[in-house]
Amino acid sequence: MLAAIPSAAVLGIDGYPVIVEVHVAAGLPAYDLVGLPDAAGRESRERVRAAILSSSLEWPMRRITINLAPAVLRKAGTGLEAAIACGILAASEQIPEGVLNRTAVIGELGLDGTMRHVPGTLVIVDTLARQGVERVIVPVPSAREAALVEGIEILPVATLAELVACLKGEWLWANIPETAPQVIEPCLNDALDLGEVRGLTNARLALAAAAAGGHHLLFVGPPGAGKTMLAKRFPTIVDDLDQTHALEVTRISSAAGIPTHGRLVATPPFQTPHHSASAAALIGGGTGGRVRLGEVTLAHRGTLFLDELGEFSPCVLDALRQPLEDRTIHISRAGISAQLPADFTLIACCNPCPCGLGGNSCRCNEVMRARYRRRLSGPLLDRFDLRILVEGPGANDQRGATSNETKAVVLAAIALQRERFQATPFRRNSEIPQRWLDRFAPLDHGASKVLRDISEIRSLTGRGVARIWRVARTLADLELHPTIAAEHIDAASNMREEII
Amino acid sequence: MGCSDNEIAAASLCALPGATAQRLNQLWRIWGSATNALKAVREGETDYKRWEIFKDPRAWPRRAEPEIIAATMLRRGTRVLLPDDADWPDTAGLDDPPALLFAEGNRFEALHTHAVSIVGTRAASPHGLADAYELATLCAKNGVTVVSGLAIGIDAAAHRGAIDSEGVTVGVVATGVDVTYPRRHVELFARVRDNGLVIGEYAFGTGPEQWRFPVRNRIIATLAGTCVVVEATHSGGALSTAKRALDLNRAVLAMPGSRRNPAAAGTNALLRDGATMLLEPRDLFLAIDTAAAVSTPWAIQHRVPLSPNAQRILDGLAGDAANVDQLISATGLEPAGVAAALRELERCGRVERKHGKFWPR
Repeated sequence: MLAAIPSAAVLGIDGYPVIVEVHVAAGLPAYDLVGLPDAAGRESRERVRAAILSSSLEWPMRRITINLAPAVLRKAGTGLEAAIACGILAASEQIPEGVLNRTAVIGELGLDGTMRHVPGTLVIVDTLARQGVERVIVPVPSAREAALVEGIEILPVATLAELVACLKGEWLWANIPETAPQVIEPCLNDALDLGEVRGLTNARLALAAAAAGGHHLLFVGPPGAGKTMLAKRFPTIVDDLDQTHALEVTRISSAAGIPTHGRLVATPPFQTPHHSASAAALIGGGTGGRVRLGEVTLAHRGTLFLDELGEFSPCVLDALRQPLEDRTIHISRAGISAQLPADFTLIACCNPCPCGLGGNSCRCNEVMRARYRRRLSGPLLDRFDLRILVEGPGANDQRGATSNETKAVVLAAIALQRERFQATPFRRNSEIPQRWLDRFAPLDHGASKVLRDISEIRSLTGRGVARIWRVARTLADLELHPTIAAEHIDAASNMREEII
Repeated sequence: MGCSDNEIAAASLCALPGATAQRLNQLWRIWGSATNALKAVREGETDYKRWEIFKDPRAWPRRAEPEIIAATMLRRGTRVLLPDDADWPDTAGLDDPPALLFAEGNRFEALHTHAVSIVGTRAASPHGLADAYELATLCAKNGVTVVSGLAIGIDAAAHRGAIDSEGVTVGVVATGVDVTYPRRHVELFARVRDNGLVIGEYAFGTGPEQWRFPVRNRIIATLAGTCVVVEATHSGGALSTAKRALDLNRAVLAMPGSRRNPAAAGTNALLRDGATMLLEPRDLFLAIDTAAAVSTPWAIQHRVPLSPNAQRILDGLAGDAANVDQLISATGLEPAGVAAALRELERCGRVERKHGKFWPR
C-alpha cells in the first residue's frame, strides 16, 4: 500500500514543500528512509516506531520504504516525523482512506506519542498555504504560531493517538490556545531611558537621526564616556514594526528557532553579538543542508549593535560591508544557497586607540595606533553616516529629553519620510541614491552655499558630501522642516568627523 | 657627477660589519686616505686583533664591494663627504665625530649657512605641530636652514614648513640614506632632497635600529647653531639632541606648554634647567644672531574680526581642545550654531579639526 502526506521543511527563512511517501509492502520487516534526511531525520525511525506503539497502534511487520520528495534536497530537522507516522498508518490502513486528502501534517514525535513544537512552524505553514493545502495538522504548542498564517485551517492535536482518533471522527480537534503563555521577556527597554543621560547634545541628536533616518552610527570615545549607555537606549526611541515588517521579523525568529509564543514580533530586533563572533555567526553560514541565520539577518528591520568594534576580527568586520550596502546577504555553501534579508541599522562603539583614552592623554605609540586603525578598514568606516566623538558630559550638564519625548520627534520624522518615499523603493533618508538627492532632499540657497563651503574646507569627496546631505535631510525632518536649511547642513557636518 | 675612488673606498669600509665611526676615523688617520685604508684592509695589512671588524678578509660582505657601492652611488647621485672635504660641516666640538657622511640632494651650501634644528616628539599635539611648522616657515623666509630628523611628528612638520616656504632643509637619518624610514615619508624624503639634503653616516641598506637614533642626534646638534625643542616628552629623543647641543655650546631654546600636556613635559623640564624660553620669533632670531628679522611676528595673526558666536567658541575652548558636545555645553549654543562658528574659525585658521576635536591655533 502507498500513502503520500504533504509536509514542508525550512531552508534559510523560506520553506519548501516536501511530500512524504510511504510504501508498505510484503517482505521481510524492514524500514528504509531515503530522500536525504539529515542526522536528526535518520534517527526519527526510533521515535516514530515508539510513538506508534505507545499510542496502541500497530507497527506493520512488513517492508516499509519512506521517501522524502523532492529527493535531491537535503531535509533538515525533525518536523517531518508526524507526517512519516501518518504515512505509515495510512499505508497500513489504520487510518480511513481519504481523510488525509489535501491535509498536511507537521510535528516532531516523542516516544510516548506526544506531538512536539517544530522550529519554523510559521514558515512551514505559510509554504503549505501557498501550495494550496487546505488543512494542516500541527502540534498544540505550535498552533498559535501556525494560526498567524491566513487561508489555511489549523488542526491542533496533542498526541498521535488523538490525531488518529480525530481522523476517524472519534474525537474532536483541540482548540487553538487563545492566549499565548505569558512569558516575561527580558526586556531591557523598560528599565532604560534616554533621560538618564546628561549632556552629550550632539551625540543624542545623532542617535535620534539614526532612529529616524536609518543612518549607521559610530560612537568613538574613552571607556566610561557614555557610548554604550547611549547605544543601549537606542531601542527606546525607534518606531515599532508595522504589520508587514512584523511578519517578516516573526518569520525570521520562527525559522531561527527563537520562541515566538504565537505572537507577531512588534518591537524591532536589537542584536548585540559579542566581539568574539565569527564571520559565519555575524553574516550567516550553513552546513549539511541547514542554513544558519547570521546576526545581520536576525537584526533585519532592527538594529545590529557592535560594542567594542575595534576588538572584532578585521575580516569579520569586512564581511559586513556587502550586507551594509545591499541590505541582503547571499549565503552559498556546498549544496545549499539562500538569499537572506539583512536590512538593519548598524550602531557601533569603539575606543579611539588601544589604551582607550585618545587625544593628549593617550599612552599608545604611533605603531600601536596605526595597527589599531588598520583593524577598522576605511571602507567600513566610510559606511557610517554618523561618526561622533563621545567624551562624557561636563560637570554642569543637565539631563536631556526623555526617551518618550525623543521618540515622538522620531515618529514625526518617520511619518514625513513615509510620505516622501511613497511609490519609491526606499523607506528612509539613508537609502536615497546620490543622484536623486536633488529631488528628495532639496537644499535652500543658504544650505547649498554652506555645503560647498564645508566640502572645500574639509576637502570632502562627492560621497562624503552626499552623506552629510542625507543626514541633513533627516535633521530637517526631525524639525519638520520641508527644505534643508543651512543650519541642518552645519549640524550634519558635526556628525561626520574623521575620528580614528 | 662622478664619484672619486676615495669616496667609494670610504663607503665600502663603512659597510663592513663593526665599522664604527671611531674605528673608521682611526683608519683615515693611520693610512692617510680612505683609498689607502681600503687597500690595506683588503690586503690584510691591518692588525685584525685591533680592528675586530676585518677579522677575515675573505668574508668580505657583498654589500661592501666597491663596484656595487660605486654603482649605487652613481644611480642615486649620492655624495660621500669626508672630513678633509670642503663641504664637510663643522664637527669640531664632537668627541665622537662621524667618519664620513652620505649626502643626497642639491643644496650643499646648507651645511655652511645659519641653521636651526627644530626637533621634538613624534607624539606631538596639534599645537606642537603647528608651532614647528610655523617656526620652520619663519626660518625659511629669513634664509635660515632648518635641520631635523625626518621622523613623524615635530620633525616632519618642521621639514614641511621649510619646504612650503621654499627654504632649505636638511634631514639627518639614522639609517642608510637609501632607506626611507618611516615608510610613509616617501614623499617627504623626495621633497627634502629637492629642497636641501638628506644626510646620514650609515652604509647603504642600514635599517632602523633603536640605538642609532640617539647617536644620529649628535649630527643634528652639530649642524645647527641653534636648537629649538618644540615639544618633548620627559624621556624623549629630542632631549638627547638638546643635551648634545648644550655640550657643543649651541643655544638651546624650548617652547613652554601646559603641565597637562605630556608632550610638553620634556620642554618644560628643559626650561626649568635653563634653556631659553621661546615665546616669540624674536627669541629665536636673537639666539641665531641674524640682525634681519628681529621684529618678525608670528605668521598667524589673530586680528580678523570674529562673529560673536565664534568668539564664544574661542572663549569656550579657553586655549584647550574640545569636541562638539563639550562646546555645546560650554557655550549654550545650538549644535548648528556651534558648527557654523567652527566653520568660520576653521576658515580663518583659528581652529584646527583633528580626530573629532577642535584645537585653537
